[in-house]
Amino acid sequence: MVNYLIVFFAVTLMYFSSADRLTTYIKLIGIQGLLLCGIAIFELNEVNTANLLFIVSETLIFKTIMLPYLLTRIIQRSGVTKVHRLAMPGFNLLLFSIFGLLISVILAKILINPFINTIYLAIALFTLFTGMLLIVTHKLIISHLIGFLIIENAVFMFSLAIGNEMPMMINIGILLDIFVGVLILGFFGLRLKPHTNELTMLKD
Amino acid sequence: MAGFILIVIAACIFPGVILRTKSLLSGRKGPGFFQPVKDISVLMKKGSVFSTTTGLIFQIAPVVTLASILCSLMVIPFGEHRALLSFEGDFIFFSYMLAFGKFFTIIAALDTGSSFEGMGASREAFFSMLVEPAFFILLATFAMFTGYTSFSDIFNNFFITGNDYVMIYSIIGVYLLVQITLVENSRVPVDDPKTHLELTMIHEVMILDYSGFDKALIHIGSYLKFALYGSLIYNLIVPAEWNIFLQTFLFFTVQAFFAVIVGLTESFRARNKMNKNPKFILTLSAIAWIAFVVILIMTDKLV
Amino acid sequence: MNGSLFLAIIFLSLLVFFVPRSLKYSYSLFLLAGAVALTSVWSYRLLSGSVQIIDIPLNLPFIQNSFILTVDRLSAFFIIVINITVFIGFLYARGYLEPYYRSKNALRFSIHYFSYIWLYLSMLMVVMFRDGLSFLIAWEIMALSSFFLVIFDAEDRTILKTGISYLIQMHVGMFFILIAFLLVEKATGQMGFDALGSYFSNHSNIPLFILFFIGFGIKAGFIPLHTWLPEAHPAAPSHVSGIMSGVMIKMGIYGILRVLISVQSDLLLIGIIILIISLLSGVLGVMMAIVQHDLKRLLAYHSIENIGIIGIGIGLGMIGLATGNTALAILGLAGGLLHVLNHSLFKSLLFFSAGSVYQATHTRNIEHLGGLMKKMPYTAFLFLIGSLAICGLPPFNGFISEYLIYMGMFKSLSAANLYQSMLILGTIVGLSLIGGLAIFCFTKAFGIAFLGEPRSEHASGAKEVGKNMNFPQYITVAFIMLIGLGSGFVVKPVFSIVAQTFRLPDAVLTTGPFITNLSQISILAGIFIITVTVLLVYRHYHLKGKQVETGPTWACGYTAGTSRQQYTATSYAYNYNHIAKPLLQGKKIMEDIREDEIFPGKRTFISHNDDIFKKLLIDKPTDWFSGLLKKLAVMQTGQIQHYILYAFVFILLVLLLTILNII
Repeated sequence: MVNYLIVFFAVTLMYFSSADRLTTYIKLIGIQGLLLCGIAIFELNEVNTANLLFIVSETLIFKTIMLPYLLTRIIQRSGVTKVHRLAMPGFNLLLFSIFGLLISVILAKILINPFINTIYLAIALFTLFTGMLLIVTHKLIISHLIGFLIIENAVFMFSLAIGNEMPMMINIGILLDIFVGVLILGFFGLRLKPHTNELTMLKD
Repeated sequence: MAGFILIVIAACIFPGVILRTKSLLSGRKGPGFFQPVKDISVLMKKGSVFSTTTGLIFQIAPVVTLASILCSLMVIPFGEHRALLSFEGDFIFFSYMLAFGKFFTIIAALDTGSSFEGMGASREAFFSMLVEPAFFILLATFAMFTGYTSFSDIFNNFFITGNDYVMIYSIIGVYLLVQITLVENSRVPVDDPKTHLELTMIHEVMILDYSGFDKALIHIGSYLKFALYGSLIYNLIVPAEWNIFLQTFLFFTVQAFFAVIVGLTESFRARNKMNKNPKFILTLSAIAWIAFVVILIMTDKLV
Repeated sequence: MNGSLFLAIIFLSLLVFFVPRSLKYSYSLFLLAGAVALTSVWSYRLLSGSVQIIDIPLNLPFIQNSFILTVDRLSAFFIIVINITVFIGFLYARGYLEPYYRSKNALRFSIHYFSYIWLYLSMLMVVMFRDGLSFLIAWEIMALSSFFLVIFDAEDRTILKTGISYLIQMHVGMFFILIAFLLVEKATGQMGFDALGSYFSNHSNIPLFILFFIGFGIKAGFIPLHTWLPEAHPAAPSHVSGIMSGVMIKMGIYGILRVLISVQSDLLLIGIIILIISLLSGVLGVMMAIVQHDLKRLLAYHSIENIGIIGIGIGLGMIGLATGNTALAILGLAGGLLHVLNHSLFKSLLFFSAGSVYQATHTRNIEHLGGLMKKMPYTAFLFLIGSLAICGLPPFNGFISEYLIYMGMFKSLSAANLYQSMLILGTIVGLSLIGGLAIFCFTKAFGIAFLGEPRSEHASGAKEVGKNMNFPQYITVAFIMLIGLGSGFVVKPVFSIVAQTFRLPDAVLTTGPFITNLSQISILAGIFIITVTVLLVYRHYHLKGKQVETGPTWACGYTAGTSRQQYTATSYAYNYNHIAKPLLQGKKIMEDIREDEIFPGKRTFISHNDDIFKKLLIDKPTDWFSGLLKKLAVMQTGQIQHYILYAFVFILLVLLLTILNII
């Protein structure tokens, strides 16, 4: 069952590279949060119940509900149009993404470790690549933010890979989530100039 | 043989279901299920008007396209029966045979000497070029998964291999094949078959100058192509070793369901902006590539 | 006996200069026919299975070491390829050269025919000589004779320049081959292909292989060594382009295959190198072909693409040999070899029909053509068959060789490890992209050039060319259909050639059941043709009873257009051009409208695509070098006193250095 969710996760990443609208990004972030919650439920069966409940509720509440809500508020406040602007056409971004999957598969083969499930390694590396590609190729700050959120999902997935051995890693990953949510989103969200078309300028 | 006949029968009903779905969703009652077949018989009775610019290619192109689709139909199996003619690598023949038909449709559009139809021809050539890799990656995934290289063998052994995660390939395969059908038959979201505007047409614009018998042949070919992809989707969903009568019933159910989905997509989704289409089609190849990575993991190569 | 016949043909070729003008063509044709018959007899004896190898010594009376022609199965295959294309090309040349009878004198024609015969003989000698020195002599004669053929039209100075640039690049290639042979001779004492075996067992394989690959690759036209191809092929007359593109570039493939037979270790790495370079050649070649507007330049880039496909087959075969995958090895190598034959057939067909178009319209620019199907129906039919074959569509021959390569790949997917499966998947994607792009390109070439309305007076004044230009092309079409429909008969000997040449075991096991696949394809192809015929006949009778009218093109109401409003080739490729911008170096030359220009004047607009490899590898270094040389040209003042001063300074310098015991 976990494998279905992981494959679906990878598919959402491909859609990140080919999407045009910021609302699509937000929906995909929400779906990714839901998928990570499902993966956490099915994968972490050796962790004690209280910890598991905490992880699941955090992913569900924070990644699936709060983050999309905050992002929607930011977008509405700045009044940006739905299409985000790119530094290069979307076709090339998709090509790089495909190439990124190739590199992550090769890296996963090189870094094979008996303690880590290889699927997680490959898909988490791919998530990392996609996040970095998004940051590098887009101009709007909100896209950079979403790229950072994707990198964070990658970190969460890495921690899930060894979560059965070291449950504390997942908790640290969750702390990272909360850090992003409170500090950066709140900071960015409140400091952006309202009703500009740019989402690149901070209010000084 | 059974597969061939079933596909032809499904092709008679399929477009009617799409039309009916679209009409019902727009609040109308809509034409009957066999209206497209009746339209074809009306077209057969009519005469033709040929343009003075066109030559031999324009006259023979619909026949060649229809013949290519009929020959591609011969390699598709149904259930446990092998296809009429199956051999190793027949999906390569399948794909290239359809490309032969497309070649002739495209040059027939250029034959009319109209810039409008040339535009449609250019887009059709470009998009079908982009969708080829997706189809081949998908088939490479299936070949690696089942270890066979023929349609009949792949579908016969698809569900038998005992792999628990065969549903992943089923789902991804169906998802991709539905999208590939939309691209190849130029439906929404790649192109809108109902508009006749310069900015949006691909397939419709190539056949503007046809009338009568040729137009009927083109419509028959297009309906057959729908049923063809529908039967591929059916083969991916239903295991080949089930009871034959159950399979026949499920075949028509799956085809009808596929038609309803196409109708739903056409009613509720907007057509893509034309220069966003390459990206849309490349996404199909990207998802097929993910499926390949999954099979690499599942067959323990990346372990 | 055989050897002396061959020598007789060589010496008789000199008499071309002395034959009267009206008989020159027939005499050359007679010589060619003689050589074709002789070598075909040799090939037939080899391929029918009776002998393994034939040695034919050429005894020249006053030269001590006689040259020995060695024909084995691989050479026999290449001999057949050469014979077919060269002979058909010469039959075509009769009609093509007719308009030139008035403008060029007898000496020019003698040189042309002499070079043609010698190009043919040197190509034969290239595939038959094993000794290094004789091989290099034959290679050099091939380069020189093709140079003379290319500059047939040298009144046009650009053609002369192109020819010289071609000659220089050929010599660069030969330089690499020479170095490689010299290295072998230094190590083993013997110079030739037979010595490679012992060299490869004692030394590292890769460096020598790379040297040979660069040398032969320049001839074959792999990217980035292809820069001579798109310039030389349009410049040459069409029958010459046809045989250059059809067989001469295959001599590079032959050389690579000869080297690969002897390679002992590092097979996997060599296979991967060949595969990746060929994939790049295939995809980039066809990508650059789409944006050309010169018909013959477009076909030249397609030759690069097809060399890429041949290389893919060879690379996969090498990988199969390295991993012990016999099926992949045989299928890949057989696919590559068969594509050598197929490509020579349909490429020469395409070049010949393009030549007919040029003769009828005096322009090679696609943008000025159009509507030629009505004026030149036979040529259009031949070009259509060629286009369908080159795109690899069934039921023609291109499909069979691509099918063999695909099958090799698909069959080895299940057993491959991670890296191999990804490489195979990449190749599958590459081949399918090549097929799709080729369809895009040839619908453009055929559609814009032959269909629609004529776009200029060049095209509207065209007339069908003579029968003796079209007749040889029908022979080629017959061969194409034969291979396409009867593929089992043709592929079986190719399998046995590959198995014997590369010392592969139990070939029959892997390929016996495979032949049934090919027979199924033939049956399906036959069914297709029958279906088309039946439907066409039905349509004919159906339309008889209906009212059929003609009128102008409707196109949803846009009936008032002129012929200039049709889709042009550049517009057809526009959406593709947009995607592939970084590679294609499109340039638009137009003067912008200035701000103070209230009534804008006349403007011209030129759009043009450059070859990025030619710019980086040839133009930039040569420009830098000639810039450097210009600075040194200060020394040439034109006054004799300065030159005497230079000589005096040199003598003083030598005196000084001798006194100081340095030299």
